[in-house]
Amino acid sequence: MEPVFYELTKLAQNDQYTTYEMFFGPNHPGMHGNFGYVVEAVGATVVKVRVNAGLLHRGFEKLMETKGWFQNLSLIPRICVVDPDPNEVAYCMAAERLCGMEIPEKAKYLRSLTLEMSRLTSLLMGMGALGAMMGLYSSMYRMMTDRDYVLDLFEWLTGARIYHIYNVPGGVRRDIPDGFLAKLTEVLDTLEYNLKEWDNLVFENPVVHKRLTGIGYITAEEAVHYGLVGPNLRATGFLADVRKDDPYAAYPYLDFETPVTHGGDALARAVQVRKEYEMSIKLVRQIIKKMPKSKEIRLKAGNTLKFVVPPGDTYARVESSKGEYGYYVVSDGGLKPYRVSVRGPSLPAGLTLCHKHLPGMDISDVAIWMASYAVCPPDIDR
Amino acid sequence: MTNRDMAAKIAGGWSDAEAVPRFHNQIEVTCGNPDTIAGMLHYIQSLGFEHMSNLTCVDWLEENRFDVTYNLWSYKYKIQATVKAGIDRGEPKIPTVMDVWPQAQAYEQEIHEMFGVDFIGNPDLSSLFLHNWKDIPPLRKDFDTEAYSKEAYGAQRNKEV
Repeated sequence: MEPVFYELTKLAQNDQYTTYEMFFGPNHPGMHGNFGYVVEAVGATVVKVRVNAGLLHRGFEKLMETKGWFQNLSLIPRICVVDPDPNEVAYCMAAERLCGMEIPEKAKYLRSLTLEMSRLTSLLMGMGALGAMMGLYSSMYRMMTDRDYVLDLFEWLTGARIYHIYNVPGGVRRDIPDGFLAKLTEVLDTLEYNLKEWDNLVFENPVVHKRLTGIGYITAEEAVHYGLVGPNLRATGFLADVRKDDPYAAYPYLDFETPVTHGGDALARAVQVRKEYEMSIKLVRQIIKKMPKSKEIRLKAGNTLKFVVPPGDTYARVESSKGEYGYYVVSDGGLKPYRVSVRGPSLPAGLTLCHKHLPGMDISDVAIWMASYAVCPPDIDR
Repeated sequence: MTNRDMAAKIAGGWSDAEAVPRFHNQIEVTCGNPDTIAGMLHYIQSLGFEHMSNLTCVDWLEENRFDVTYNLWSYKYKIQATVKAGIDRGEPKIPTVMDVWPQAQAYEQEIHEMFGVDFIGNPDLSSLFLHNWKDIPPLRKDFDTEAYSKEAYGAQRNKEV
């Protein structure tokens, strides 16, 4: 195959200015991932945008068809680095629904616990990245410290910091270690104490308010029409939450109210993420309080290499930090899945909404637009 | 409204649709005539399925069929619908649904690239992920990954230890 080379293309020229095509990413400080937009700009104003995807494509959907149901568990968390647990849970839920399994109560709580802890790490990274896009690198580095406290707990619970491979069809892999919940409460106290700091640094900062107001405005009807989910949708005042609407794991047993924000611009989305972060801390506390004492955490699956799922197909959804993460799983009754299709939550924003929003925007706002919509390249390139 | 009522409503309102309730909140809808898929999905959308979660394709090699699959969700009734349209594998063609949901354009572009399905009416079916791809679409079941990596990169299997 011949290699492909790109160079800065001159599109038009007159006596006053020249129009160039500019690569915004993959190597750009405002791009967190191997993804990019190619923008046509007049001066600093974007007039047209082209998606430059495929730099992160790892062929997960094809790979999953060649491996056993349990072997795939080592692949799945790698789809999304920042928020790996929703992937594991959605895949396991699909397999369990086809098998007709009902997992033990404690496993449900442990799933909810890992999901919420994963949401905390992901939201910290998202809030930090949004700060960094505005030049507030101090917020990003300090939030990474908080994120690491949670990752340390993940290592204690699951044995790994990022790719936990903790949820398996039929339950979870390990029980809670002694002293884990006490330490988790301590870390939650720290996270909650630091919230004041994040308010001062980011969310109540007048400079941030001025910078974010009005960027990427969208109405609730449009957001539903374009398939936006999660915090992006709730920041328009539309209440929809998979945890409430299509309950899974231990969420039916938990008592919580999902917050919404009215506004629909980047500021509303930032405020919404902060509210969800606070809610997530409270949810983890509630899970700690209600954690069952039993020792049963997993159904017996027999020889995991001979695990089969009855023929059929189903679509399982999980609320990740960016919204609905979905796995459409088809089984033909064999040792391997027949087809697995992954729905990344930020694909509609990253591939479709960009054509509507970015033209007319300043180049300096593109990174903020991406961070505020939490466009995550692994959702697009699986 | 339960998924049983909704399935009856869909099947009653669109003659080509066959709807079966399954699990606790899901419906499986089969589209008898893929040429009318856009109209049918517009009808289903008007019943309350505002959100398209996913658009994908399943390759049934032995039955010589592609199932183009639309996963929908109703915020109002909390019901999930999986709509399937079976098309001929030899000449895969189906109308676009990007007028019903705009983000379908990107999903259809991906399915076109990975399965070779032609979405009639979609203005941009250029390659999104693969650069200079010359083989058959890679997510088809008859695509041999090992032969491809041998041919393209000279890859070899590790010797067994």
